[in-house]
Amino acid sequence: MVSSRLTPFLFLAPALIGLAVFRLAPIVIAVAGSMTGASLMGDLSFVGLENFQYLLTDPEFWSSLHVTLIFNLIINPLQLAVAFALALLVFQPGRAIWLYRTLLVLPMAVSTGLSAVLFGLFLDGNLGPFNGFLEWIGIGAQPFHRGQEQALGTLIGIATWKGAGYWMLFLLAGLYSIPSTVHEAAMIDGATAWQRFRLVTLPLMRKPMAFVLVADTAINFLFFAPVYILTSGGPSGATSVLMYQAYLSAFTFSDLGRSQAISTILLLIILMIVALELRLLRSPEDRA
Amino acid sequence: MTETIARNPLSVALRYGALSVLAFAVVCPLAWLALASLRPQAEIFQPVSEFGWRTFVPSALTLDNYRALLNGDFPLALRNSSIVALTTVVFGLVVNALAGFAFAAFEFRGKNFLFLLVIVSFMMPFEAVVMPLYVMINSFGWTNSYKALIVPEVANGMIIFLFRQFFASIPKDFYEAARVDGASWLYIWAFIAMPLSWPTIATSSLMLFLSQWDSFFWPVVAASDPNYAVVQVAIARNINFEENNWGGLFASTNLAIIIGMIPFLLMQRFYVRSLISGGIK
Repeated sequence: MVSSRLTPFLFLAPALIGLAVFRLAPIVIAVAGSMTGASLMGDLSFVGLENFQYLLTDPEFWSSLHVTLIFNLIINPLQLAVAFALALLVFQPGRAIWLYRTLLVLPMAVSTGLSAVLFGLFLDGNLGPFNGFLEWIGIGAQPFHRGQEQALGTLIGIATWKGAGYWMLFLLAGLYSIPSTVHEAAMIDGATAWQRFRLVTLPLMRKPMAFVLVADTAINFLFFAPVYILTSGGPSGATSVLMYQAYLSAFTFSDLGRSQAISTILLLIILMIVALELRLLRSPEDRA
Repeated sequence: MTETIARNPLSVALRYGALSVLAFAVVCPLAWLALASLRPQAEIFQPVSEFGWRTFVPSALTLDNYRALLNGDFPLALRNSSIVALTTVVFGLVVNALAGFAFAAFEFRGKNFLFLLVIVSFMMPFEAVVMPLYVMINSFGWTNSYKALIVPEVANGMIIFLFRQFFASIPKDFYEAARVDGASWLYIWAFIAMPLSWPTIATSSLMLFLSQWDSFFWPVVAASDPNYAVVQVAIARNINFEENNWGGLFASTNLAIIIGMIPFLLMQRFYVRSLISGGIK
């Protein structure tokens, strides 16, 4: 049985080589690339931490970091809150609830890029109905993604439209895993609906909520398509998130070193988030 | 039971009221686009001052916008996306199911460590490695090719995980019995394990298909040549270049959304279940 010791590795080889080359090796490339001065032409030279030192003195980087952090500080709690509200609304059985559930998760079948295009048209003053509606009810037309003040908020809105139903599913699964006996016991003890929510549901939902928050954050730190499609980072840098800066550095300014330095910073953030996620999934609490 | 809350007429009304508002917010842009794509060219522009039911309902329904797509860059984009997505599904199923089977059926050194790598690979969103991956693909000389779009997406940690979960649920005696009869492991995988796993095959196909059909960042970076533009990229370009063919943009966007949505709706149940098992387990 010489072959049998090799068999598992033969089965694993194609997938694991794929993951190693296309998921893990790029991490090494980002770190190595961030320490080289490389142009798209391919001339390489080792520059140590120069790219990072340069980043730290670059106001555009700081402004982009600021935008990215604001974006994440708003969108992640917001999506969690909306998703949780949706989950509570569709949790209990009722007439036509399945229909609402299907409608609410529909946007997860629409890609982020197409969501951006859809809202680019929907919110456009000449092509879409929304500004006409705002005029009609007396609020007046808004610039949305074209306005300095509103651009980031508009992108947050679009991403939430797309993402809330998706995250709802995980919270819904969490709600189902709460044994109904727990609620019954609380009711017998005379707890009101609000008390039961605050003292029973909320504590038992800690883990699924933490999972959603962490996984959502990982995705939103890498937010790109709507920025590229709708705002090109503007107006005047208002939506220029780090991922877009990494893209611009490489393809507009041909500064691959800067691009890789930003990628390395983002990867570091993401790997920290993944580590957090792993700890969360491993923690032995509530395996019931 | 908790039903008492649901039976209170006021809370029922509030619940359905809130649900209806939310469902409307979700569906309204999609429904508007679907109707707008059927509008005659002359009616595409909607002056802000003329809001009314006509804003949503076209005076006549026409397929002109869709017909006009045939002459543009969209058929090529559809072809590119289909080639890329379907090839990824075929290779992705084989490669990831083999790995999932190995994790479920065999004991070997380093198994836990390798499985941890698989899990990390799907917790880390793909976008995180797009820029360095571009440097790698560029040095391979793969940019602007189907290879660049397909090969990096074949191995998929989530799909490996789903197949492992399924294959681990089949009693090992089942495999061992076939072993005793002299079957090779490859034979057991292909003719015993795989045929049993059709629900996993179905969801995995959908996930692999959607991962490619929806991908935008990687194609923009790795295959920016118009000849290799996939659907998402072609559409995104048309919204930025001040084209006059807005009807065409409506139609192509609506078509791209519908193509992604149909398999999702058909397989929603399986899909959701797998998704959650990957996240919570």
